[in-house]
Amino acid sequence: MSILRAEQLQKTFATGSAARSGVAAVRGIDLEIDAGQFVAITGASGSGKSTLLHMLGGITRPTAGRVLLEGIDLAGLDDDALAVVRRRRIGFVFQRYNLLPELSLVENVALPLVLDGVADLRCRDAAAAALAAVGMEHRASHRPDELSGGEQQRGAIARALVTRPAIVLADEPTGALDSDNSRRVVELLAELVAERGQTVVLVTHDAGVAAGASRTIRISDGLVASDSARSAAVPVPTR
Amino acid sequence: MRLGRLLLRQWWNRPGRALATAASVAIAVGAVVATWVSADASRAGFRRLNEAVEGVPAIDILARGGGRFDIETLPSLGDLPGVRAAVPLFYRPTLLRVGEKRVREIAVGVDVGSLVDRGLMKLSAGRPCFGEDEVVLDTRLATALKKGLGDEILLFARRKIARMTVVGIAEGRSIAWFTEGAGVVVDIASLADMSRSLGLVDRVRVVLDGDASRTELLARVGDRLPATLMAEVPAGRSSMAEDVLHSANLGLDFVTGLTMAMAWFIVGNAMLMNVTERRRGFSLLRLLGATSRQVRRFVTIEAAILGGIGAVVGAALGLAAAGPISAGISRALQAPAAGLLVHPLVVPMAVITGTLVAVAAAWWPAREAAAVDPLEGLDAAPPPARGVPVRFILLALGLWGFAAAVMGLVLNERLPPRAAVPAGIAMLLAFVATTPAILPPLARALATLIPNRWRIEGKLAVEQILRQPVRTALTTGVLVVAVSNGIGLGHAIRDNVDDVLGWYARMMRADWMLTHAGMVRADGSSDGAEAVAAEEQIRNLDGVRRVEGIGVATGRVAGVACVIVARDLAADSPLPLDPVAATADEVRAALDRGEAVAGTVLARRTGIEPGDEVAVEVFGRSTKVRIAALVVDYTSGGASIHLRRDAARRLFGIQNADILLVSAAEGDAADLRDPLAAIAEQNGMLLRSFGDVQAFIDTIVNGVVGSLWAILGLGFLVGSLGVANTVTMSVLEKKRTLGLLRAIGMTSSQVTRMVVLQSLLLGAAGGLIGLLGGLVTAWFIQMASQPLLGHPIRASFRPGLVAMNLLAALLVTVLAAWIPARRASRLDLLEAVSSE
Repeated sequence: MSILRAEQLQKTFATGSAARSGVAAVRGIDLEIDAGQFVAITGASGSGKSTLLHMLGGITRPTAGRVLLEGIDLAGLDDDALAVVRRRRIGFVFQRYNLLPELSLVENVALPLVLDGVADLRCRDAAAAALAAVGMEHRASHRPDELSGGEQQRGAIARALVTRPAIVLADEPTGALDSDNSRRVVELLAELVAERGQTVVLVTHDAGVAAGASRTIRISDGLVASDSARSAAVPVPTR
Repeated sequence: MRLGRLLLRQWWNRPGRALATAASVAIAVGAVVATWVSADASRAGFRRLNEAVEGVPAIDILARGGGRFDIETLPSLGDLPGVRAAVPLFYRPTLLRVGEKRVREIAVGVDVGSLVDRGLMKLSAGRPCFGEDEVVLDTRLATALKKGLGDEILLFARRKIARMTVVGIAEGRSIAWFTEGAGVVVDIASLADMSRSLGLVDRVRVVLDGDASRTELLARVGDRLPATLMAEVPAGRSSMAEDVLHSANLGLDFVTGLTMAMAWFIVGNAMLMNVTERRRGFSLLRLLGATSRQVRRFVTIEAAILGGIGAVVGAALGLAAAGPISAGISRALQAPAAGLLVHPLVVPMAVITGTLVAVAAAWWPAREAAAVDPLEGLDAAPPPARGVPVRFILLALGLWGFAAAVMGLVLNERLPPRAAVPAGIAMLLAFVATTPAILPPLARALATLIPNRWRIEGKLAVEQILRQPVRTALTTGVLVVAVSNGIGLGHAIRDNVDDVLGWYARMMRADWMLTHAGMVRADGSSDGAEAVAAEEQIRNLDGVRRVEGIGVATGRVAGVACVIVARDLAADSPLPLDPVAATADEVRAALDRGEAVAGTVLARRTGIEPGDEVAVEVFGRSTKVRIAALVVDYTSGGASIHLRRDAARRLFGIQNADILLVSAAEGDAADLRDPLAAIAEQNGMLLRSFGDVQAFIDTIVNGVVGSLWAILGLGFLVGSLGVANTVTMSVLEKKRTLGLLRAIGMTSSQVTRMVVLQSLLLGAAGGLIGLLGGLVTAWFIQMASQPLLGHPIRASFRPGLVAMNLLAALLVTVLAAWIPARRASRLDLLEAVSSE
């Protein structure tokens, strides 16, 4: 069943002297992602893979084309409605973790629920459960600056999961980690897909990381250069 | 967890930022409270000073056409707001016999008991007088006559010679407002009866509340009077103090308004910095699904809390600062310190307004935070702005337009002069709004003055300034306002005061001055024999070079109350008048022909032009006189007509002089003191040396100027605190950048220099823009005063004042930057580089 669909997505950035024509980062991508898939989007720097991810997550509005998340056209939503969709149906994981330094790990994880007006107790329980799912429950009360990079990223994954989103979008989640921590993070994401049926889309330029995904889409010059789903199915890795 | 906890955590994690924000509000609210309370103290001091010179603020009701009138014809006025009391007055020139001594005096009939009860008259001893056999004496007269409580005097009235017992001694200052120099106070009914005029009064003096508008009440009282009566400002009173104080009051309004504007800049800047520093955090919240409304609410609630705390602290600090400033102002004005006069609404209003201003000031940053692009916001720093934001140019144009329109209406007298205050503030804000456009080239130009060995620090400082044009404009705005205040008001006040002093010096050029103790006449009843006799006696004294007599009477021109000044014009002394569009010789020749000149204010009010022949009503008689020219004059606020004494005698029957100016032959001034004092005592006149008069005038002027400087100084102090706070916040915000600079090899002294240079460049730019604003402000105030004064004040350029203000701006910015700069240079590198 398709959970996310992109139709003829385009994104042109107006920059400096090229303002009139702009720089085309994404030039017409069609994409369909099914529930429970673990998708890796790869490509060289500047290929447009991150821009594509941002459009899929409703962070950036496409210049043309549309994104349908669970059948909802994101282009038809205003900023606040889009924020609510992001809050409830999408989980984000970033390269630099982006945890608020003022809050403890469990408070960081609970933040999307807090924004959604969920009662304190339920927030705490859900955050604790999300932390347990990534094996970080023992570090719940620690501040981000007391955690290692790998631990912070696992905390960020817990935050992405806490609202039980339809899809988790991860932008270079291993970009700031050493190889050991990178492997652990990819394994964790794969586990979530395998055990909870969580849909995950990950952007990476690391072939090793992409190898952990069930489907690999390679972007080149703003277009889909290859999509493994169209050639052969890749078995989901297990522990 | 609620978002409130995130707020608390953010404060806990970065207490400096929250404290600096609250401190900004505290500084702003404190400044407004201190300025407001100090300005009130100044106004109260001005009022006491004015009362000392002029008496209590009042309106006179007189019989139209002169003479006494039946008190029964006067309608009730007590219900008019601003009217404190309506006091019937009966004046009777009389002769007192004290032992073998006979003294000419004016007996004043009032309801003594009622005045004492209402606090309008103070007795230093005894009780009020009642009936025909009791009298109250002024302290001065009692001392001169060597009479005290229980002593008897004989008072010669028309109906009888009354043997009266002194039952009370009045404090001279407390009765001067109605006795105008006379020393005998009798029950009004008894005095009128003794003069066969029972039920009649000479005038009713309507005493006004200190803050009531005399102009407004004059019209309202006039509306109630029957056709036989008229209301007018007590003529002949010295309105010089009032004129000086008018400018000062306008200045105080201006300073208070500008302090409020400055407070807005400080709070606005603090809120802007407080939010922009957390741009990344807000972006993340947006990314995680916070709606723009949630972000706005977060920022607004924070602003309300920090604003509330800051406002409470600021109100307390403001009151603490206002105490010594108010006491200093009272000392400068030589007015008794009346303690801290704080309106009961000042503190609650300050707290509520301070909080609301903080919330309002956070509105724009909140909107920006809510609208931040989540991805862009995750970058460490926003991209530098390019070009001048159009909205600033539009804002500046709008403010200029508003200021020009209001000023035009003030000059056309469609709006009162006070309307010039918001217009002036709008104009200064326009200067601030143009700062983002002026600042980049100005900062670059100023940076070329930085010595070569600090070139790198200077270049980085300029870059830091140009990176945030709005914030920089707000920081500079505080300085622009402070410097404009200092230069603008400094020039306006000094020019205004110089104008008044110049007039006074021209009018009263003499070694000695004798003033008649009696009142200025609205009727011709006083024969003035004693003044004429005194004049003759003085002329016959050895060592007297010249005696010039000045007689003053009330009159009306085209229905407007004015004073007629009849004056000797000695051929060997300069013309004591300042003609407008005519030469002194032309005016002297016209006066010699029996023509008159009119004060510019009277001309403006009545439309008189040079060459007009106008009907002047004096002592109930209308006489035509040709107005030869207009003159700059402050007598009775400039509503005056001047002519030679001989012409005044012929045209209006003005006989005697109320003021005698005595010029001594070279070296004989001191020798004249004793004989002049004897003549003064003999004729019931008051003798003052030119030095006494000058000292008195200096007291007023220095007091007024001093009090304004105190408040302007407060503005500078607040400006410096505002700049210090802004620079501190700026350093906090740039922690990462500064850390990176240190990490790549910048020495701590280079960082210190960079921060100080950044502040210094801001100070210099703000000072220069403020200089321009200040000169325009001075011009603005003078233009606003023109409808009141009827003539433009000569504007001057005072390099000392300008240099002092510019130096103060530079000093303030260097001092303000020093602590943050030291702090920046001591940053822990790892912590700074890893800071969000």
